Amino acid sequence: MTVHCLANVLGLLFLPLLLTGLIQRVKSLWSGRRGPPLLQPTYDVLKLFRKSPVYSATATPLFRIAPWLFLVTACASAAVVPLLGSEPIASFPFDFVWFAYVWALGRVALMLAALDTGSAFEGMGSAREATFSTVLEPVLFLVAAALCSRSGAHSLQLALRFEAAEGSFLLTTCAVLALLVVLQVEASRMPVDDPSTHLELTMVHEVMVLDHCGADLAAIQIGSAIKLFVGSSMIAALLNPWAASGGALALGAQLVLSALVAVFVGTIESLVARLKLRLVPNYIALALGLGALALLLGAWGRVSSG
Amino acid sequence: MPSFLLSVPVLVVGALLAVGLRSNRASAAVALASQACACILVLLGVGRPLFGGAAIELLWPWPPPITTIPFRVDALGAFFLAWSLPLTLLGTLYAIGYLRPSFESGRHGGPHFALLNVVALSFVLIYSVQNALVFLLGWEVAAVAAWLLVIWDYRSQKIRFAGFNYLVSTHVGLFVLVAAFMLLHSKTASMDFAAFSRFLQQPSPARGTIFLLLGTAFALKSAFFPFHTWLPRAHAAAPAHVSALMSGVIHKAGLFGFVRFTLLMGRPEEWMGWTVLVFGAVSAFFGVLYTASQRDLKRLLGYSSTENVGIAALGFGLGYLGWSWGATDLALIGFAGGLLHVLNHAIFKCLLFYAAGAVQRAAHSVDLERLGGLAKRLPRTAALFLIGTLAGSALPPFNTLVSEFIIYTGLLSGQGPSPEANVVLVVAAAGLAFVGAVSALSATRAFGVTFLGQPRDARIHVGAEPPASMLVPMLCHAALAIVCGLAPQLGLGMVRASVGLFPFCTLADLERVLAPLAGLVYASRVLALLLLAAGLLRWWQGAGARRSPTWACGYLAGSPRMQYTGSSFSEHFARIFASCMPALRRERIASEIFPALPGQLATHHADAVEQRIFEVLARGEDAITEVSERIPGHPRFAFAAGLCAVLIIGAVAWGGWR
Repeated sequence: MTVHCLANVLGLLFLPLLLTGLIQRVKSLWSGRRGPPLLQPTYDVLKLFRKSPVYSATATPLFRIAPWLFLVTACASAAVVPLLGSEPIASFPFDFVWFAYVWALGRVALMLAALDTGSAFEGMGSAREATFSTVLEPVLFLVAAALCSRSGAHSLQLALRFEAAEGSFLLTTCAVLALLVVLQVEASRMPVDDPSTHLELTMVHEVMVLDHCGADLAAIQIGSAIKLFVGSSMIAALLNPWAASGGALALGAQLVLSALVAVFVGTIESLVARLKLRLVPNYIALALGLGALALLLGAWGRVSSG
Repeated sequence: MPSFLLSVPVLVVGALLAVGLRSNRASAAVALASQACACILVLLGVGRPLFGGAAIELLWPWPPPITTIPFRVDALGAFFLAWSLPLTLLGTLYAIGYLRPSFESGRHGGPHFALLNVVALSFVLIYSVQNALVFLLGWEVAAVAAWLLVIWDYRSQKIRFAGFNYLVSTHVGLFVLVAAFMLLHSKTASMDFAAFSRFLQQPSPARGTIFLLLGTAFALKSAFFPFHTWLPRAHAAAPAHVSALMSGVIHKAGLFGFVRFTLLMGRPEEWMGWTVLVFGAVSAFFGVLYTASQRDLKRLLGYSSTENVGIAALGFGLGYLGWSWGATDLALIGFAGGLLHVLNHAIFKCLLFYAAGAVQRAAHSVDLERLGGLAKRLPRTAALFLIGTLAGSALPPFNTLVSEFIIYTGLLSGQGPSPEANVVLVVAAAGLAFVGAVSALSATRAFGVTFLGQPRDARIHVGAEPPASMLVPMLCHAALAIVCGLAPQLGLGMVRASVGLFPFCTLADLERVLAPLAGLVYASRVLALLLLAAGLLRWWQGAGARRSPTWACGYLAGSPRMQYTGSSFSEHFARIFASCMPALRRERIASEIFPALPGQLATHHADAVEQRIFEVLARGEDAITEVSERIPGHPRFAFAAGLCAVLIIGAVAWGGWR
């Protein structure tokens, strides 16, 4: 128990920024460059921590608190997801409801900080983030309910357990694809958002945090990396056939699978262009459809087996 | 005589004195004192049933046609009484500060305070009486008192119209309620709830009809979609404390009536459960959609009431379904979650209306397109509004998350009798998640546009922070929102005995189904602690940091007019849901290279249901006018119309005589 807990905490400390570095490396390789070292995002964050902050004269104290609230919510949401191995730090029935609302709290904190600067750019990013999240939120609940119906349990830990039963293949596929879209939206990756552009009009998440600098920006970057890590861990847990065995095998498989998810995300990002903003809700609606399909499969599967 | 009934003469005397006394200060003091007395009497009286003791019963002899008035305060009545009166007291306290500018200009506030007393009095009647006639009396007293409270600024035609609109709507509801009671009276020859109960417990064709009639009446009272049209107007027109009390406390009587008659009716049929569930979900969905597009802060909060009663009804619908299926766990979760949500909504909604009132008082406007940057001028109001708005979107660690979590555990538990039923329940849960996300959008928009950024309109001059009499009620509500989120035992302790009234409930079962809450509470507490630590640390660290103009990619020619406004914030969202939320758009785009006229754009989101009602009414009026204009011109038509009238009157008279 304590070993699992320790593994999760260590994973949370060291892996998120590595995962971001991995995606950057994959993108570089696809575009024919060697790319920065895997630790580059970590170096960037360390450098940011040494910089002294400058705040907008328009902003209230909320602006300098919000990034840290975002970081706390990201860490708190990571506590109920099995990051390394099969056991999360904490688990209770229906913890996915809490998970979703904690993410929402972090989002609201950043959106308010963006409005606090009084800049049109950041208002734009804030409005876009809010709009996309409304369509995204139900996806998480549909997928979680479908996975719960598979095992009959109600916590994220048990719902995300790998299942080899014959009927559950399609369900797992749908759930994984839907979660992938959730990951892309929440971690602001292509084709929803472009994390590397400097054209404000095209961005969602990045344009929202334009005015943060120094340690505050570092907190936001760590928080986003943690969200990416949490999302890929959820997918990895669903696909990890050795999770139940525990021990080093489970841990290693989980790590490799998380890395594979990151590679996949990076590959999509290299090959696909960003969607028009108008089309992003439709793309999320696709995930909604996948979630609904998973739910129907879950309900139908239980009938045929029972 | 039980002590809660002693509060009636106290409140009456307080009201009379408040009207009679010349000075506003004295009227306010009398109203406050009498309400405080009444609160103590009521709380002392209802403590026993509230925490699971025996109900208080009393028969009051009365001249015919009623003969005796049965009073009975069981756990449900005690639950509603226990918070309705204290919250009204806080509202009265708020009124003193809020109305002070009017008092200073010579307005006499006595009747207003008296009416607040009357509202408290109507609660004592509605929540305790067991006779339909006296129930109707209390219902009507509350409605008329609320109407008179709404039209405090009666000199404005707009406010008179809003009040009239409310009066008509609430009486349409009253007619439906009277119809239901008449139907019940015709079957039981009695006006007592006990007799109603004996009839409703038996299966009969009238049972469904009565359920629908009562449901419609109570839905009109609590402003469910599509019966909500009076609500945004009334809430925008009324003084802030009246809006708060109407939304948070007075109109909860509709939900009380609903649960009361559920208890009288006994085990419902399955279709009733689905009706309530779908009705609640639709209400929550449309209510929250409209909050996203309003530009008047108080209208926005009004629509949020429709959303939240919808969420409570979602819980009740789940309770109905569980009861009809024999899945008692579901039923317990549904009713407990729904009732707790009623209380939670009262806590945060009053806070929001009070804070909006403080904005109105300081800036003389609640228009989201014109406000901005108020957090610097009104930091206390801003902090309190922020707490209310976060609580309102059910974010952790505030109180509303607890009740929504309970409802989620029911919807997602998979305990329905068939896979189809379970799928529908999960879809309802996904709908609730959508509602939560949209209310987070509205919360960000309402708070961010009003309080953050820079002032959008230079003509708005912001006055001072609200006085203590307004701050104290807000602080009480904010503290309740936090405490009930971190220690939900407080709210649940009040709800527990009410849920215990359902015949299938045992307290051990209730503890078992609420067990998942323990994890949530623990997690919320840890999260609250971490958030507080991170926030305080950063607050303290960053206070002396360097300041410069907003960077925004180096664009330095920005002006406050370029900020995102309320309507630009929700523009993309409104476009996605344009089919549910029609926008009136007036635009003139500057076309040539050197346009002669400047371009213009105005968008406005009207209430689709209200628009439709007015359209239909106008069409009906046109049709009648067309027919009636012909009649005098042609003697033949006049003769035919007269003949028809005589025939109809004759037929009715003959039928009645027979």
